[in-house]
Amino acid sequence: MVYVDSWDEFVERSVQLFRADPSATRYVMKYRHCEGKLVLKVTDDRECLKFKTDQAQDAKKMEKLNNIVFALMTRGPDADISEVSGKEPAEQQQSKKGRGRRQ
Amino acid sequence: MVLLQPDRFLSELTSMYERSTEKGSVWVTMKRSSLKGKAQLQKMEKKGKEVEYRCLVRASDGKKSISTSVSLKEYAKFQASYATVLKAHMHALKKRERKDRKKAADAEKAPETVPKKQKKSSSKKSSGSKS
Repeated sequence: MVYVDSWDEFVERSVQLFRADPSATRYVMKYRHCEGKLVLKVTDDRECLKFKTDQAQDAKKMEKLNNIVFALMTRGPDADISEVSGKEPAEQQQSKKGRGRRQ
Repeated sequence: MVLLQPDRFLSELTSMYERSTEKGSVWVTMKRSSLKGKAQLQKMEKKGKEVEYRCLVRASDGKKSISTSVSLKEYAKFQASYATVLKAHMHALKKRERKDRKKAADAEKAPETVPKKQKKSSSKKSSGSKS
């Protein structure tokens, strides 16, 4: 198990993992207030994807992933998540730009 | 594990977050589930019935576990209130520190390219200090 550094990669691989085995895949969000840490995990007990952050801006991204996961889990693995994930294209672009500047 | 109604679950989750501010973590797990056993599922498959899947949401603070299940109809509403709960309690995360530093660096560079703005701001500052 390794932490995935890139958020986009984490989301993409998580969705792939879920679609490969919808009934075995779970999504865990761990939040530790005293240390200000947030760890997201997606696993099907064979492969495990993790993402760790302490940045408030990542909480917003997590909200979007929550949307995607809810949609996939209730509507089924074939659900179209483009409307959920691409609901706020302007905001997504902004976050991309921001990431570029910071690096 | 207690299966709660979505609203009840959210209020329990809120108190979980409140209790764990000084120490401890909170786990929230989401899983696609039909809430039926294997045997029952096989029966339904044989009969050709369609299985209704829900999103099972569990939460734990290490001592207590709660859970709820969210159906297709409820999920939009649940998602919105769930996001509100998270937003209200995840305030220990750092706020764009690096960007602020960059902004400060940009501000230092800015006067070279935009001298007018600097003059304005400096005149305002000086007038402010005088008064």
